[in-house]
Amino acid sequence: MSELLMQLFPGIGTFLLASPAVSAARIVLIALGFLLAYLGFKRTLEPLIMVPMGIAMIAVNAGVLFLNTGAIGNMFVDPLVSDAEALMDVMQVNFLQPVYNLTFSNGLIACLVFMGIGARSEISYLLAKPWSSMLIAIFAELGTFVTLIVGVSLFGLSPQASAAVATIGGADGPMVLFTSLMLAPELFVPISIIAYLYLSLTYGGYPFLIKALVPKKYRGIDMYVDVPEVSQRSKFTFIVVSCLVLCLLLPVAAPLIFSFFIGMAVKEAEIGKYTELLEESLSYFATFFLGVLLGALCEASTILNPTVLVILLLGILALAVSAVGGLLGGWLMYLLYKRKGEEFNPVTGIAGVSCVPTTAKLAQHAAMDENPFAMILPVAMGANISGVITSAIAAGIFVSTIHLVG
Amino acid sequence: MNVVLYALLAYGAMAMISFGVVGVIVLINRIFTAPEKGEDHHE
Repeated sequence: MSELLMQLFPGIGTFLLASPAVSAARIVLIALGFLLAYLGFKRTLEPLIMVPMGIAMIAVNAGVLFLNTGAIGNMFVDPLVSDAEALMDVMQVNFLQPVYNLTFSNGLIACLVFMGIGARSEISYLLAKPWSSMLIAIFAELGTFVTLIVGVSLFGLSPQASAAVATIGGADGPMVLFTSLMLAPELFVPISIIAYLYLSLTYGGYPFLIKALVPKKYRGIDMYVDVPEVSQRSKFTFIVVSCLVLCLLLPVAAPLIFSFFIGMAVKEAEIGKYTELLEESLSYFATFFLGVLLGALCEASTILNPTVLVILLLGILALAVSAVGGLLGGWLMYLLYKRKGEEFNPVTGIAGVSCVPTTAKLAQHAAMDENPFAMILPVAMGANISGVITSAIAAGIFVSTIHLVG
Repeated sequence: MNVVLYALLAYGAMAMISFGVVGVIVLINRIFTAPEKGEDHHE
């Protein structure tokens, strides 16, 4: 009788047959899925990722059944299949398997998201204060390099795994996906999930850091910003030359670099249909399936992996140190501009953390909370775009040279 | 190579390449701005 009930309701039956740890992990993940979907619905977390991710987490952990092989599994996706013949079989069964293997595990989905980011980026902002913007972005990569050292020295991670986790400090989702796929494919799932979870939390957490590190009277500083008029020919030439130079210097990151610059190039060339395709259709298609797949990959085995705790700690460290680094860069610019008799709002530093355009908006909000006339967004957007470039360079350097760490 | 030394060198390399990219932006902007002042669209 109980066997018949288990066959009738395998989702419940597998709870009883699996080990208590796995069953408990499934319940925790279902609850977490509810929480993420709800917080996305309430707009506390990024709804574009969190709503599909949360619901997929619930479905994949509830919809567990007995497979033909006798094992316990689901009909969503199996990220561990690598044998070509087995993969063809699994693709006939798991409905997300084709999306996973053809867009996720080769980094295509990260590139699609990056094309959308490129199509939304405006290079003129970078030209408002080019050297200051880039200096801030370099400071805002501090978390990436500190976390690399901490991961290897204190937590005993391999240099590759540590570098993959450290890229969370760049606060660039597609970059984290790409680097973890290249350097630590075995940790790709937990790193990606934790990265996107934390990136959603920056919106809530960074304002506290800004308030802690920049006193009230400095947060409202208004800046004279002269965004230069740049011809489209100039912008287009810059995009093509930068793409050439960066691909030449960092071939391993070439797919990601190309994706970012092709998005920008299409926009500057005013190819309206392509811009719409990249900015709207492809970008949202990729973001939706990114959320669904991240949720579907959240199985019990994911949180039972002891490395997850280490990644949780390192991820928050990377983002916190990068934010502190960015704000230090903001303070340095404040001091340098003060010597010239000009104003610079140190809050702009947070925008060096390249979570486009979230951190730039946070900087503007923080300034406007103290002074409704303060306008720092153009410079903050410049730092934001510089942050994307520095993150791509850091990822390229890691992927090409991390094997040198012995 | 020691991880601390590697991180310092990698940070330095990232900074140099990043400033190189800014240099390219500024240079191209200077080259094109002079003859095209006030121009907004394609020729």
